[in-house]
Order: sequence, then structure tokens, then C-alpha cells
Amino acid sequence: MADSRVAGYAEALFAVAAAEGDSSVVEDELFRFAQALRSDNDLGSTLADTELPLARRLQVIEDLLDSRVSAVTTALVSMVVGAGRAAELPAIVDAMVERGAASRNKTVATVRSAVDLTADQSERLAAAINTRTGRDVEVRVVIDPSVLGGVVTEIGDDIIDGSVRRRLNQLRESFR
Amino acid sequence: MTNQRNRLLAAPLLALLALLAFAGPASASGESVGSCMAEKLEELIEESHGDLEEVLHELHVDTSIGDHFEKKCIEAPSPILPETNEIIWGGSAFLILFVLMVKKGFPAVRGAMDARAEKIRSDLDAAEQARVDAQSVQSDYEARLADAKTEASQLIDEARVAADQLKGDLAERAEVDIAEMRERAAADIESSRAQAIADLRSEVAGIALGAAERVVHASLDAEVQSRLIDAYIDEVAGTDG
Repeated sequence: MADSRVAGYAEALFAVAAAEGDSSVVEDELFRFAQALRSDNDLGSTLADTELPLARRLQVIEDLLDSRVSAVTTALVSMVVGAGRAAELPAIVDAMVERGAASRNKTVATVRSAVDLTADQSERLAAAINTRTGRDVEVRVVIDPSVLGGVVTEIGDDIIDGSVRRRLNQLRESFR
Repeated sequence: MTNQRNRLLAAPLLALLALLAFAGPASASGESVGSCMAEKLEELIEESHGDLEEVLHELHVDTSIGDHFEKKCIEAPSPILPETNEIIWGGSAFLILFVLMVKKGFPAVRGAMDARAEKIRSDLDAAEQARVDAQSVQSDYEARLADAKTEASQLIDEARVAADQLKGDLAERAEVDIAEMRERAAADIESSRAQAIADLRSEVAGIALGAAERVVHASLDAEVQSRLIDAYIDEVAGTDG
């Protein structure tokens, strides 16, 4: 039931984004906001708090996203929060991103890095993944300080870990 | 018992002596009845009237009557020999009593004596049998006592052997237990030592990794991060050195 609801919301978001124009930009903005919700528990709980007046929660969204993202993105987030599905927004966004990539015959590659990748690095990484796996991917960067350095790429169930954190863990294991 | 028997013998002897002392021969006074009466009369007359002859004469009494009385006096029996009829009756009674005693009393007495002797003999035999039985019982008791002593000695020996065996077993078990405890203690010590080494190694690793992480974190500036990302891309593409 939850999966179908998430898929329904994702399909709706994708349809609105596609109808409004450049859906990839909206997908990218929604993806970054979803990552912000994952990393900030206070923000997630505030938006999911139904006892808090909806206008107050929508005001928080307005304050966070206004002038930083497109109006479509702000409207879509407000729509999901207004529907009382703020807690499911990250999963809805992930499904929407995958839906958009699939519409372009691509696969989403989630890249975790301590710093943001440049556009050139993203393109080269997508090409490298294509070379390695034979799949055409869209790179979605997630800023994760716990990676320390390097990159961790997740494509479906496949993980390519080239982070400094992994090397430190390997070093820790070698001490045991 | 002896005093009672002496009293039983003394009673008939005293009765016999009394009979011999106080019994005299029947009517053996030594005087006739007529003389006795004459003499009595003569004494009474002489006391009351003086001389008897004169009294008789005054009374015109023929004095020859005295002679008559004297002739008529019964001659006194012998102090030794009893009267003939007494001899007859006494002899007859004696004979009858003797025959009765011979025929009835003596066999009865002899039977009683024989029974008494038989009883005494039987008692003696019984006493002898009891003595033999007592000796048998004593022998039996002595044999049992000897057996009991032997059995007790065997039990003591067996107990001593069992105690020695138990002592040996306990000592052996104690040695085994001590060896096991020693092995367990050695294993525990080894385990504790290994755990301590592992803990120390982990702690050292943590300290070292913490230090390394701090060094790495401090050295991860934007340029280094960019180089790491480029290196990663090259590694994924398979073009790294």
C-alpha cells in the first residue's frame, strides 16, 4: 500500500514537472531537498508534525526554498507536505527521480561525496560508469561528510566504494 | 531341709518314749481285789471303832469271813507277761498289721522309694542333659564368637583395603582435578592475555586511526578532494595507472 502510494505521488510529481518544462531541473532540486530532509531530522519532524498548523509548515518551506529553487519545486514540496506525506517525501522523490531517468532510458547513480562534484566530474563519472557497467546513468550527488574524501556510487544494488572512509575501515580491520 | 527331716523323726520318738513312760500293765497291782477291800475295811473300822477283832466280836461276826475274803482274792498278774487274752489279741493284731505292712505298706513304701529314686535319677539325667546342652550351647556360642571375631577381622581388613582404595582414588581424582584446574587456569590466563592484547591492539588502532583520520581530515582540502574524485573516476573507468 505504501509502495503504491509512493509510486503514485512520484508519478504525479513527475507529470507536473514534465508539464511545467525542464523536469530534470525539478528532479535535481527535489533530490537535493530530499537529501536535506534525510540529514536534518528536525526539519523532517517539523514538516511531518500534523499538530503544527499547515500554514506554519508551508511557511517553513517557503522560507527554505524561495529564491533557491524553481517555483514548481516549491509548489510540489508544499503539495506533498500539505497532503500529510512529509515523512514519505524522500522516498517519493527517489521514485520520481528514477521515474524521470527511466523516461530518458537512464538509471540513477547516487554518488556520495564529502564535497560536491563539478559538472565535468559528474559527466566523466557517468561516462566511466557507462564504460564499466554498460548502463547509461544520471548522476545524483549527495553531500555526505562521513565519506571524508573520495566517492561512493550506488547503482541499484551495486556499490562502488572509493571513499577515504572505506580505506580507514580497511586499515582498522587490519589492526584486528 | 535337714531340720525339717529331724523334726519329723523326733516326733514319733517322743511319742514312743511317752507311751513307755506312762503306760503300765493293765491291772498289774500285785494285790487281789478281796485283800484290798479287807485291808480297807480293816483300816476304816480300826480308825472309827478300835480293834477290829473286838468289833467283830461285839457284832457277833464270824471272823472266819476274813479268811474267806483272803481266799477269794484274785492273784495279781505278772508285771512282765501280759494277760493271755491280751497276748492273743495283741499278737493277732500284730500279725494282721505285720501282714498288712508286708503285703501293702512295704511294697507301697518301696514303690514310693523306687519312684523317688527314679525321679532323682531322672532329675540327674535331666541335669546331665542340661549340662550337656549347656556345654553344647556354650560351644556353639564360642564357635559363633570365634566366627564373629573372624568375620569382624575380615570386615576390618576389607574396610582397611576399601579405605586405602578410596584414599588412592581421592588422591588420584584430586591430582586430576588439580591438573584440570591448572589447565583451565592456564587457558583462562591465555584467553585473558589474548583478550588484553586484542583490546590493547584495538585501542591502539583506534588511537592510531583517530590520529590518522584527523591528519587525513586536515589534509583533505578542496584540491585534494578534487584529486580524490578524479582518481575515483579514473579507477571506475579503469584507466588508472
